[in-house]
Amino acid sequence: MFDTLRTLCTLSSVSGDEKTVRDCIIEEIKDYCEYKVDALGNILFEKKGKKRTANRVMLDAHMDEVGIIITDIEENGFLRFNTVGGIEKECLLFSRVIFKNKTTGVIGNRPIHLLSAEEAKKLPLVDNMYIDIGAKDKESALKRVAPGDTAVLCGDYIESGDLILSKALDDRVGCAVLINLIKNYDEYDFCGSFSTMEEVGCIGARTAAFSLSPDFALVLEGTTASDIGDTPPSKEICCVGEGVAVSFMDRGTLYDRELYSIAINDKSIKKQTKRGTTGANNSAGIHLSKEGIRTLALSVPTRYIHSASSVCSKEDIISMYKSTEYMISAINKL
Amino acid sequence: MIDYLNNILPELSNTCSIGDVKETDKKVLAELSKYADTKVINGGIVGTVGEGDYTLMLAAHIDEVGFVVTDIDTRGFLTVQKVGGIDLRHLPSRRVVIHGKEDVFGVFCSIPPHIKSGDETKFDDIESLKIDTLLGKRAKEVISVGDFVTYKETAAPLTDGRITGKALDNRVGVSVLLCLVRELKEKELPIKVAFTFTGEEELGCRGAGISAFSIKPDEAIAIDVTFGDGPDVNAKDCGKLCGGAMIGAAPVLCREITDKLTAVAKDKDIPYTLEIMSERTGTDADKISLTASGIKTGLLSVPIRNMHTPVEVVDINDIVSAVKILKEYILSGGIKNV
Repeated sequence: MFDTLRTLCTLSSVSGDEKTVRDCIIEEIKDYCEYKVDALGNILFEKKGKKRTANRVMLDAHMDEVGIIITDIEENGFLRFNTVGGIEKECLLFSRVIFKNKTTGVIGNRPIHLLSAEEAKKLPLVDNMYIDIGAKDKESALKRVAPGDTAVLCGDYIESGDLILSKALDDRVGCAVLINLIKNYDEYDFCGSFSTMEEVGCIGARTAAFSLSPDFALVLEGTTASDIGDTPPSKEICCVGEGVAVSFMDRGTLYDRELYSIAINDKSIKKQTKRGTTGANNSAGIHLSKEGIRTLALSVPTRYIHSASSVCSKEDIISMYKSTEYMISAINKL
Repeated sequence: MIDYLNNILPELSNTCSIGDVKETDKKVLAELSKYADTKVINGGIVGTVGEGDYTLMLAAHIDEVGFVVTDIDTRGFLTVQKVGGIDLRHLPSRRVVIHGKEDVFGVFCSIPPHIKSGDETKFDDIESLKIDTLLGKRAKEVISVGDFVTYKETAAPLTDGRITGKALDNRVGVSVLLCLVRELKEKELPIKVAFTFTGEEELGCRGAGISAFSIKPDEAIAIDVTFGDGPDVNAKDCGKLCGGAMIGAAPVLCREITDKLTAVAKDKDIPYTLEIMSERTGTDADKISLTASGIKTGLLSVPIRNMHTPVEVVDINDIVSAVKILKEYILSGGIKNV
């Protein structure tokens, strides 16, 4: 599972530009299920198990990640950009970026020595930031990058004990778990989507849910963990290493209370309640589809989630895998 | 020359030199001793080439900016203080290496929006920016208060002969001297040259004074970096990348050295620009010039972008220019006969 996760994290897949991750996932799952790619780039799949289901279950993980998109190339060779998705603005300044063709750049700024005391306390606006790929002028830059190209912040995948440090853990953890379920879980049938454009408004999952038309949906995600530094327990939301986080409500969804209860009351797998209502995920798009779909989100607690250095626990990922298996079976007994 | 620089600069950038962490120093000692009579005086590396009683000291500081650990909490989060001038605004989610009993990765916390008071992080207090060691309560077994922390970054090539990496301030200067000493191999030198690599520049040019006092040179040139151009940098505050090395002119700098550096660059058609400062230079040159009864001191700088960050950018051609200017300067006897 973690080899798959490492491979997926290394790929670049900004919202709307998910081809590299999509191709990688198809390579992984093609021998284990029926699949197709829809108009918005989602992978829709049907996985046959040993038993037919009374309730059709859809599993979803999104393929895209937050990043940047080039908006202009100036005469002096510097690139202007905008952010795609809710990338942490405070993680941009003086970061290294990489384009899909491996062109490397850095987000530059006036050095600290040349800032006033006031300037040094305030982040510059994204509109005032620029990317330097080293190009001496526009002509040279255009040989490597064009407006509309996407890039991600560099963030190598590193393991430290049980913890993983990487870019794009949101939501490659969901993709890795889903790939492994397709390969290894064979009790009941299930269907699902590897969806596009979650970070810009849960776009792919809406059409995926319409096409798949399930009775139930399980959304596999990464969610904010704030068990850091001096944060009081009431603001932690969830803790890395304490098991998969089960949501009752967030900014996009009031989750199906029966599914929440089944998940959280299963004591065989380490898990925690997501103690907060921040954030949103593909559940927001899925649960309002058609006549309404009973939906639950299972999330891997992730620190610094929309940065290039997000942190999560391998045990929590395994806990997500086991919880998802448990829920597929449980839903089929409803 | 370019091949050597393209090789040695990333290697130097990827090592660390701060406080008692001396990876770069070891590398420089190994390289320098191939070409020069090398010793370490009070932490400063000195390699001498040439004979005679007239000595030119070339000084590049070897240290880099970073942090020092001041507290370790039970969850494995560190409080740190700055070592040198650091822009706090780029620390959230920044990866670092903590030089504990062993090197360990860490990452500066990026505080999620729901915990922030107001909309933005306030960047006026480094104590509020903790480092996550990913070690939990085991952190104290590996890390001690007083351990140093540096940026975790690996140098990489950009477009058009440019390189990005950490600590180019001042591994660029270090690479100039290592390339130069190699270029001077088996050359007849009219003067003695002491290649020195100084510590603690980022804390106020502390090492340079000690080295200068020990060597007692007749003249000295500091080799450092200066501000490179960018869309938001005033043209008068910076040098253009690929415009050549920058020859310092300032009240504290010796005018004869400035003029001679300029003359050899012109004479040999080596690209250069002047860096004119109205007060002190903010480099080792300030400290060296005030050492003992005073030393005639010059300054040669290479422009870099994003100074004191892990994404500094340098143009390799500007380093070549610095090496060539210094080589011609030495072969023509410095200001010995001026």
